[in-house]
Amino acid sequence: MPKPVLRGLIIVAFFALSAFVLVPVYVPRPAFIPGFAPPPDMWPRTVSLAGILLGALVLIFAFTREQPAEEPVETDGSSPARMSARFAGLMLAFVLFLVAIPLLGFLVSSVLLTLCIVLMTGERGHHIWVALLAFGGPILLQMFFHSALGTQFPKGVLTKPFGF
Amino acid sequence: MLNEILSALVAVATLQNLLIMIAGIWGGVIVGAIPGMTGTMAVTLALPFTFYMEPVPSILLLVALYKGSTYGGSVSAILIKTPGTASAACTALDGYPLAQQGKAGKALNMALYSSVIGDFISNLSLIFFAAPLAVLALRIGPPEFFMLMLFALTTVAGVSGSSLLLGLVSAALGLLLATVGEDMYGSFRFAFTPDMQAGLSIAPVLIGLFALPELIKLVVMRVAKKEEAATLGAQQVTREEFMGSLKAILKGSVIGSVLGAIPGIGPSSAAFFSYGEAQRSSKRGANFGKGELEGIAASESANNGACGATMIPLLALGVPGDVITGVMLGAFMIQGLTPGPLLFQTNIHEVYMLLIGMLVSSVLLFFAGKVTMRMFSKVSHIPQTLLTPLVLLLCIFGIYSIASSTFDVAVLLIMGVVGFGMFLLNIPAAPFLIAFILGPMLEENLRRALAISRGDISVLLSSPITWIFAVLILFVLTLTVRREIQKTKTERRLAQ
Repeated sequence: MPKPVLRGLIIVAFFALSAFVLVPVYVPRPAFIPGFAPPPDMWPRTVSLAGILLGALVLIFAFTREQPAEEPVETDGSSPARMSARFAGLMLAFVLFLVAIPLLGFLVSSVLLTLCIVLMTGERGHHIWVALLAFGGPILLQMFFHSALGTQFPKGVLTKPFGF
Repeated sequence: MLNEILSALVAVATLQNLLIMIAGIWGGVIVGAIPGMTGTMAVTLALPFTFYMEPVPSILLLVALYKGSTYGGSVSAILIKTPGTASAACTALDGYPLAQQGKAGKALNMALYSSVIGDFISNLSLIFFAAPLAVLALRIGPPEFFMLMLFALTTVAGVSGSSLLLGLVSAALGLLLATVGEDMYGSFRFAFTPDMQAGLSIAPVLIGLFALPELIKLVVMRVAKKEEAATLGAQQVTREEFMGSLKAILKGSVIGSVLGAIPGIGPSSAAFFSYGEAQRSSKRGANFGKGELEGIAASESANNGACGATMIPLLALGVPGDVITGVMLGAFMIQGLTPGPLLFQTNIHEVYMLLIGMLVSSVLLFFAGKVTMRMFSKVSHIPQTLLTPLVLLLCIFGIYSIASSTFDVAVLLIMGVVGFGMFLLNIPAAPFLIAFILGPMLEENLRRALAISRGDISVLLSSPITWIFAVLILFVLTLTVRREIQKTKTERRLAQ
């Protein structure tokens, strides 16, 4: 499917979901609205409908008008499947980081996430710098924010006995 | 009056006051340059320290932090495409491409010169036009506010990216996201989780949208830029380059001063508006977004130009123009000063001291900027595979420290993915952000206007000011569409 068509479809689908599913369900109308005040769903509904209209225009132009040349996305030449796998891996790393915070604490989770991200960028050299970044970075940042702003970073259920 | 000014000058020119301003400016620049740390945070954190200071030095410290952080946001925007503050988002559009071309020093110098000039002009406007502009701003009601913000949004959508339509789609997405949380009558909208009842904070959305897509691109596409920015010493802005951007600087300073004086608009909108205007009127408009010094000049002169001007409604009417001046209003009151028309009668000596101190701080900003620039330029020598994870770490810790909220960290990561998706679909991120910032004000003013007019939509075109903005919106839309048609024709001709 050509990119402009896909783009138009995604935009229309998103705003249609918002207008016809999310707004009716997740924007409750209060029983009493004072005077002539517009209800809470007026604005999100208006924006969603405008979004559908804009998406439809994108879709129409994708079929009827000659699209201006878009700059190609620069890659390292990997296949789309490989790049999709990398993206999925990164999403998994983000989710695991958020899940790990209550278990391992903010500090240990940050160390693991940084190590994971550095490896995922393809970095295989600079071992000392990688170690300093992954271990020293979170420790220094935690110390800074704790001492400067008094931020209390969450400790993990599993790592609490070790002070993290 | 002259005697008052001279005595205020003598009172300001003490070593203690100068040191306080230097510390404020320098601290502000550093805070502004760290992603996730905002000027609001710096001013709020400094507030308890001002309890023990004299009234004028305490306000000067807060003003210096504000100015420094507004400039500081441009440093990280240029070097690592991570705007330290929302008002520097436009600077990243041209600053980062310049840094990639090895002209980081040039970009930083242009940002500094523009900021200092914008700041100075803004301070002059504060001194000369405080009362008249504030009175004018007071006359702007909800319908005028709505049309003004709609105009700002249309301009941003028109100038960002390659298509007006996609710019408007991006703005609609930002407006929709801004509705998350409690509305003005207490209803919770799109509150899928209890954390979402309070709405989404600007910081995680801003940082996620602008900083994280770079990391995701690096991981997924693995196109690490090998080139490093050249040394700063060899990258001075030439006289020709400066003169070529002077018009944009002066125009941006005026735009910043005027928009900053209107409560609620602030430096971010001023920067976007000025950037759009510079792109529209520049001979090199097509080069904007690819590394154009004029773009940086327009954005930075406007955002710093708005800083001094936000003090106009605060001092003259006691109305804070943005969050930071809201904190400052508290500082004034703690010190026993009540901003408003009476301040100019009862505390004129303090007012003059403050105005002169603000002028002096513009000069100090120049030196603090030079020193900090050299310090932060080292960032450009770090390999991208190490720098980008470091930026992620800074963002995560910075965002968590704002509200001690893991939810905000999750928003940061999700917005990064959204930003990456928008990049893949060629949807520009700038209109999304500005719509997210302006969205609550836009909606509130629309609903107020409709409530006042008993649901009559024609209230939005009920005064000469609203008509002016409506005409301006049509003008911008027509110009943008015309430009796009011309561009398509040129491309077709070149292809043939």
